[in-house]
Amino acid sequence: MMPDLSQVGEAETKEWVPDNTAPVVMFDNVSKQYGRINALTSISFALSGGVTGVLGMNGAGKSTLFKLMMGKIKPSAGEVKLFGQNPWKNTAPYARVGFVPEHEKMHDWMTALDFITTFARLHGLTRDEAEKEATRVLNFVGLGDVMLKQIGRFSKGMRQRVKIAHALVNDPELIILDEPLQGCDPLARTSIMNVIRELGRMGRTVLVSSHILHEIERITEQIVILHNGRLLALGNSHAIREMLDQHPHKISITCEDPKALAKDVIDIEEVRGLSIPYANNLIIETQHFGVVHAKLPGIIVDNSHKVSQIDSPDDDLQSILRYLTGGS
Amino acid sequence: MMSEKMNSVWSKLDRKATAIAEFTMRQYRTRISTWVVLGVGLGSMLLVALFYADAMNTQIEAIDNDQDSYDWDGDGYPTGQEVIHGTDPYNSNSYPIGIEPDPREKWINEDDFNWDNASFAQISKVGYDDDGDCRREGQLVSQSQKDNNGDSIPCNIVLIYSNYSQVLIISSDGNVDEDPDDEKYAKEALHRAFILGVGKMGIVYLLGIFLPLFLATGLIRDEMTNGTMHFMIAKPIARGEILVYRMLGYLGIVWPFLIGLCLLMSLLTGFMGPSESFFRLSDLAIWFTICIAAMLVTLVYGAIFSTFGILWKQGVVLAIILAAWELGMAFVSVLAGGDSAIQKFSVIGWGLMIVDAGAAMTWPDMAMFIEMGEWVGKQSCDRSTLGDECGPLIGNEPLRFFSSGHGLGVTNWVAALIASLVLIFQAAAAWFIGQSLFKGKEMDD
Repeated sequence: MMPDLSQVGEAETKEWVPDNTAPVVMFDNVSKQYGRINALTSISFALSGGVTGVLGMNGAGKSTLFKLMMGKIKPSAGEVKLFGQNPWKNTAPYARVGFVPEHEKMHDWMTALDFITTFARLHGLTRDEAEKEATRVLNFVGLGDVMLKQIGRFSKGMRQRVKIAHALVNDPELIILDEPLQGCDPLARTSIMNVIRELGRMGRTVLVSSHILHEIERITEQIVILHNGRLLALGNSHAIREMLDQHPHKISITCEDPKALAKDVIDIEEVRGLSIPYANNLIIETQHFGVVHAKLPGIIVDNSHKVSQIDSPDDDLQSILRYLTGGS
Repeated sequence: MMSEKMNSVWSKLDRKATAIAEFTMRQYRTRISTWVVLGVGLGSMLLVALFYADAMNTQIEAIDNDQDSYDWDGDGYPTGQEVIHGTDPYNSNSYPIGIEPDPREKWINEDDFNWDNASFAQISKVGYDDDGDCRREGQLVSQSQKDNNGDSIPCNIVLIYSNYSQVLIISSDGNVDEDPDDEKYAKEALHRAFILGVGKMGIVYLLGIFLPLFLATGLIRDEMTNGTMHFMIAKPIARGEILVYRMLGYLGIVWPFLIGLCLLMSLLTGFMGPSESFFRLSDLAIWFTICIAAMLVTLVYGAIFSTFGILWKQGVVLAIILAAWELGMAFVSVLAGGDSAIQKFSVIGWGLMIVDAGAAMTWPDMAMFIEMGEWVGKQSCDRSTLGDECGPLIGNEPLRFFSSGHGLGVTNWVAALIASLVLIFQAAAAWFIGQSLFKGKEMDD
């Protein structure tokens, strides 16, 4: 691809002041094509403040949306603005933006503190300021006690939190999280969700993507649904929940002893069915997903079940999408 | 005042620059491949140095270049001794009476060079007949025989440099400086040839191209492939800056290595090389220019190769193609020296020019030194009767091979300066192209 010399990219620092009159994120009729494939088609929206969930199946265009915001790729048509600035041309707005990439790879050889401190200095902080800031954000995500350990030794959930801490350096106005809950165990999920909710309470603009509706529901009520590169809905999750409640949902739990777990779970009123499709896996069926999901961690912890994963299969999102796209 | 200073552009730049440069250096240090590359580089240079140490500690066989140590007629007197006493070296009944015969060794290496005031710039008269076989008096010798070159001075050598044909004409009166000290010449020549050979081909070319090939090609590319670049470009920093600061980190590893290596090699050759004193202090100048050339060359290749890495996932392929071209240009430079213009379309051509300028500054007598070794060889071949091995003095040929002029037609200092500036310009141009490509690169994986 030929270089596009239109990027300006002055080295701005933490003193960069965002334009308060412009929306934090603004997409104006943005499309992105890869060859003949349309990754995003005519996306328009504007956001300021609060937590917004970006929901979509894998390949719906969530990551493309975020890459456009982060100036990694250039829109094929339309305009992307962060604080009124074009992020492809100017990196200055990143002084007020934190980004949690989807990628698994990290600098495993660094300690968490080292990693955050090094990248905090790119905001123009001195070594001491950066270290202070790194300690603050690591404490904020609950890694204060392990910050001197190598990232390579961290669990998936801790690594995700390191990435979040990296994004929170310099107290950004806008925080973008690409699938932050993917692959995390239940405890890590809960703590990451708490962090995101806390950021929302602090008045930050947070964008968080997921392909699992219930996860997003637990974080925020404001939801954007992407499907096949198009924006299907921008709205409140209550409406979506009502639609959803007409369908039974499944929760899949990977654990050591599914039979014992089934015995404890059956007491929950809202559970409509249980099945063990294969060893180490328990499927719970319910029409009150939120209630069951809220009660689950307590049961698991109280009876010390060894659970490695809780998943909500895509079926429910798929049915919503079918509904929204005018299917059955 | 203080806060003004803290907020100056420089201090901001400095924070980002040192953060990324330090990060890059630490990243290098954690990779085994870095240590393997540097280790192999150091090891191979030390291996070559072993050959040098061996050569410096080996006795060079003294050759009787003028073949006057033989006693042809078997009367016990070597030819040289008979000649200066005017007796017939081919008649066993003719020998100097009342004089003890000399041992044979006395007539080997008995007439060393006396070329101290030799010059290419003007006609110069050099040489002194140490063994007296030209200066001897007697009925068989006429004044005109002692002055073959007709400069009215007996027993000397006239040097005339033809600017037109660029050939040095050496016109000797015969039997002057005709049997020099082979060992002295060979050690000096081999010493210089080693420094130039290992400096030009080993350090400036091989290390100059392989260190960047392994260490700089992935400077940006590896981060892009790993997906770790996302952390860096999500910060308020321009991509062009990232490239510069990553380069700084790369130089932070490569430059100290090169400086250390050159220092080590200069100590080795300084202590082991032929010298009146215990250390060849004057050679530090050539090692200094080798070091500067290697540093600049790794800077340029580093900028080019990291740009190749940005351009294409398989950027190393482009780097290897360039390395092949550069190898050709290195040979052109070594063989043709400054006489070839094509080497100017390369990086290595300019790098080696710095070394050539340094060699000319360190050893101003270099060209003459090579000429005299060859001249003696030719003389001894002309004289050879027994089909003995003859030819340039030992060490002359390797030295001639690795030695060349910078060919810029200016003084050595200016040549070194020009070549350095050209290299810095090349690096800046490569960086400019690299950062343009990087800016326009869509990070999509």
